[in-house]
Amino acid sequence: MRAWLYVGALLAATPGLAADPLPIFDAHLHYSHDAWEMVPPKEVIALLKKGGVRRALVSSSSDDGTQMLYAEAPELIIPVLRPYRSRGEIGSWFQDPTVITHLEDRLKRYQYVGIGEFHLYGDSADLPVPRRMVELAREYKLFLHAHSDADAIERLFRRDPNARILWAHSGFEQPAKVRELLRKHKNLWADLAYRNEHGSGGKVDPEWRAAFMEFPDRFLVGTDTFAPERWHYVVEHANWSRAWLKDLPPAVAEKIAYKNGEALFGNMIKR
Amino acid sequence: MRRTAALIAAALIATGAAAQQHAGLSPLAASPEELRNIQRHGPWPQPVPRDPSNRVSGKAEAIALGRALFFDPRLSPRADLSCASCHLPERTLTDGRERAQGGGPAKPRLDRNTPGLWNVAQGRWFGWDGGSDSLWSFTPRPILHPDEMGASPAHVARLLRDDANLACRYAQAFGRAVPPEADAETALVDAAKALAAYLETLVSGKSAFDEFREALARGDAAAAARYPADARRGLSLFAGKGLCSVCHFGPNFSNGEFHNIGMPHMVEPGRVDPGRHGGIRRVRADKYNRLGAYSDDATRTSGSRTLHLTENHGNYGQFKVPSLRNVALTAPYMHDGRLATLREVVRHYSELDIDRLHQDGDALLKPLRLSDAESEDLVAFLRTLTSRGFPDLNPVTGPCKPQGQR
Repeated sequence: MRAWLYVGALLAATPGLAADPLPIFDAHLHYSHDAWEMVPPKEVIALLKKGGVRRALVSSSSDDGTQMLYAEAPELIIPVLRPYRSRGEIGSWFQDPTVITHLEDRLKRYQYVGIGEFHLYGDSADLPVPRRMVELAREYKLFLHAHSDADAIERLFRRDPNARILWAHSGFEQPAKVRELLRKHKNLWADLAYRNEHGSGGKVDPEWRAAFMEFPDRFLVGTDTFAPERWHYVVEHANWSRAWLKDLPPAVAEKIAYKNGEALFGNMIKR
Repeated sequence: MRRTAALIAAALIATGAAAQQHAGLSPLAASPEELRNIQRHGPWPQPVPRDPSNRVSGKAEAIALGRALFFDPRLSPRADLSCASCHLPERTLTDGRERAQGGGPAKPRLDRNTPGLWNVAQGRWFGWDGGSDSLWSFTPRPILHPDEMGASPAHVARLLRDDANLACRYAQAFGRAVPPEADAETALVDAAKALAAYLETLVSGKSAFDEFREALARGDAAAAARYPADARRGLSLFAGKGLCSVCHFGPNFSNGEFHNIGMPHMVEPGRVDPGRHGGIRRVRADKYNRLGAYSDDATRTSGSRTLHLTENHGNYGQFKVPSLRNVALTAPYMHDGRLATLREVVRHYSELDIDRLHQDGDALLKPLRLSDAESEDLVAFLRTLTSRGFPDLNPVTGPCKPQGQR
């Protein structure tokens, strides 16, 4: 009888063996100013916990949103610095030199693991503001979280071949293109936020399966809370991710679900 | 061939008329492409398609039963709510409220705006979330919902059985007596199918826009010139740079699908309306859907769209593209009625907050940045979609006469 109790306790305490859902490292979240009242910080943290999100990469317009969440749950929130001071700068930030002042100021005051998520396409990546942003990332040893096409990714790497880039939405590229860039750049990681086709209906698409099997250490999942209401989608998204991850070998699934995020960002913030 | 000739004629007339116009856009001036776009919004009225999943679709006796039920508050066990309580005939079959009001002593504020029902049979999905794949399978939703009519299948079956007039109409529509208590759900479904048969008859008449469109098609410059100049300019915006007609497509001014237009969709603190994302789940799980046991489509082919539905992240916050016919009469607007006037609707698109849309998801939508005059023109155009007339909605159907009696 005692032996059974012991086994039961062991099962409950061992990750992966107990009935606990697969933990999630959510690599793509925003807490922008219009969300602050609609979904207050405590509610955000409760939603993340309800979804079984172990850690969350958060960037916000403005960065105050990220700092609010970090203050609320430093063990859960991993801050990323967005170059946008408010919503509406998506299409203009890369031509606005005051963005650099903003970045420099925040980098001096707070800790981050990356700069992003920023929207940058094609040769805009060669403009002075993005170039300085890449320098800052190098100086502070930070990731770049780039919502970019493949061309801009290549240009960012040309600017700094040692840059570490998390490719938001994997550029909405086809899996063959994502694999091509992952092969070419060892410091490139791919987030799958706001994409469906790789795991629709709980089944992994064959082309994506090949990508996941070739690069099990390079993919991450993310919800993308680009509108306040989407915080209420975090739980749904975590469960949706678990459904398709179940169609992969468990070791690969665990890496994509949370281990890759932990390995990349888990120890970057000194507390 | 005849249509092509008419288009060419209209274009030629348009060229001449444009030269005579001293200010603004002539009612007739149009490029061949614009003419084609305008013609796509007709003809009107469209034939009402028969629903293969509803064996009494189009059947006169079922229409009569459905009409009687539509106006009958006894469908609600409290006898305080009929379909017509929210779909008011005098308000273009809507209620004028931001969000619908439920039944019972509490009269709760429901989550969504009451949509109008004119031309409802032209749809492909029903409800703001498209949670039903046929008109008949939608109707049990308000009948059974505890915040609305709060009925049960047994209640509906009893009503049909105990009221001699309804029982008579039921027998005529379905060719049998109302099912017994044990099969109350069949009675509910039959009531739903009769209601749908009635709703299919709600077809609004032609509008000033339809008359203009027809005048263009036949090259009737004099008739086309009667179309107001501001509406004509608004139509050019609608079908041109505004790209409105991409979604508000076709004769019924709706593509029948779902889009996120950046509307907030928080119902109350802590609760979000998932829109189409929830609707896809709902319709797939719906025992009354076209694939289910209650469908009269033996082949189930009419359910193929339902069969292949898969929800995706972008569905969260999408709502059905409403028809714009009679839109000037159905304020307030959007799934939760948050916009009070057509001007507010136009302003929403003019000043669209693209940060609320995903950059790669809804690339079609951009802020229109309309001038005040352009906004007024667009509103003027929308007002010309109001029907000149509506069929009589007299709820009185008279006593049912058993078959054989006249």
